[in-house]
Amino acid sequence: MANQKEYIRNRADSNISKIIIDRDLCIGAASCIAVSGSTFELDNENKAVVIGADTADDETLKMAAESCPTKAILLFDKEGKQVYP
Amino acid sequence: MEKYKYVIVGGGVAGFTAAETLRQKDVSATIAVINSEPYALYSRVMLSKPDFFLGKIPFDKVWMRGQDWYEKNNITFFGSKTAASLDADKKIVKLSDGSELGYEKLLIATGVCARKWGIPGSEREGVYYLRTIDDGKKIMEAIKSAKRAVTIGGGFISFEMADLFALAKIDTSVVIRENYFWEPTLDEASGKMIEKVLTGSGVKIINNAEVQEVVGENKVEGIVLKDGRKIECDMVICGIGVACDFNWFASSGIKTNRGILADEYLQTNLPDVWTAGDIAEYNDLLLEENIQLGNWVNAHEQGRIAGLNMAGVHEPFKFVSFYTTQGMGISVAFVGDTRPGQDRIIIKRGYPEINSYARIIIVGKELVGATLINRTSELSVIAKLIENNIDVSQKYKELEDPNFDLKGLLKTEVKIIQL
Repeated sequence: MANQKEYIRNRADSNISKIIIDRDLCIGAASCIAVSGSTFELDNENKAVVIGADTADDETLKMAAESCPTKAILLFDKEGKQVYP
Repeated sequence: MEKYKYVIVGGGVAGFTAAETLRQKDVSATIAVINSEPYALYSRVMLSKPDFFLGKIPFDKVWMRGQDWYEKNNITFFGSKTAASLDADKKIVKLSDGSELGYEKLLIATGVCARKWGIPGSEREGVYYLRTIDDGKKIMEAIKSAKRAVTIGGGFISFEMADLFALAKIDTSVVIRENYFWEPTLDEASGKMIEKVLTGSGVKIINNAEVQEVVGENKVEGIVLKDGRKIECDMVICGIGVACDFNWFASSGIKTNRGILADEYLQTNLPDVWTAGDIAEYNDLLLEENIQLGNWVNAHEQGRIAGLNMAGVHEPFKFVSFYTTQGMGISVAFVGDTRPGQDRIIIKRGYPEINSYARIIIVGKELVGATLINRTSELSVIAKLIENNIDVSQKYKELEDPNFDLKGLLKTEVKIIQL
């Protein structure tokens, strides 16, 4: 989909190197914020944005992505392979 | 009789997340999940979203995990089954088909049902509720041919369904018992902002009105209001709130109020019985009272915490809840405790005229909640201000200034209570 926003992650102990938020899918349910408030925030359009790509460990980040009721958070590993969803 | 270490009644997001947490903590435990629907976890949140209904979001996105998730995780799934009774002394849950499951630890996460409309004619074909995916499918089918629709209630089901109908070019009326949309959780100025976007999309709002009767031959043909007005329609969406089913555990001795009462660990008064999600009325550590909340984020977090506690990790549920909705160019968010009350000080932040308006709700010296219109970017910081018990009694000026960055209050303030 066209309306995607990419965030690069540079955390030494992480296998996830990129977070994408699909703004067409995002409905602002804010479950990602509940799981990892240091990573995600909403903007005034009620869409999730990444405010700290490196703050959470991989387990928390994955849990945040999995909690999204529209699967709007996509995670990629260092080889560029999509690991979630 | 089959015996399980963990039995979870309810396969919504609370029950599912508890099962997932328990499996992570205890890889070999026997776990059973009883679900009134035949499906593995799906996104209940998606069911009211116009993009989903109109096919902009593919239908398959509704499934949160594969249908084989339970099998893959070695969890026994009792689909299309409901619990019929609970014997807390013998630790047995009896199912509607007569079978019995023994448990060591039990979670009740059955959620709530859409409140049924008791008025004459409301059983007619064409009256819909929205709670389950099967309800959603029926509405999806109905909108294909509907010309005129009515939604009942001034809450988020009505808001999102009216948005959907407007996008589907269906002539729509919203019937609200109150003076304005979302009364009394929102103030009139906020409610009117929502009504303005609804009417701007061609939706008619009928305030201060109650339905007397649903009329039609077999199918719905219209509704009659108590003042005699008649509105013709092919379908009616009823979003008038929720109700809990207590019947199956009524004789177990479990304590209930509006929901099942639980402490901050989500444990009920019965030994080894926990509760989570919409049906739980728990001791909220931040508000220092029992509350019951009905939203996805809350149910997800409670499922996780209940699972942890069932697995022996002693962790209280301490969470500022929030939920949001959007449509027709407006976003609405509710953070923390937004109930109206005499003891509350409301600080207005922004103006309806600039299409950006928040209400900050204060009790004593602390922020307890907020309602945000087109200001969802402040949701996170407000949740943090509530969670950290920040003293804002000297900060009304900053709170009133819509351009002041609320993050500034997080850094400088001294916490009143260290939880």
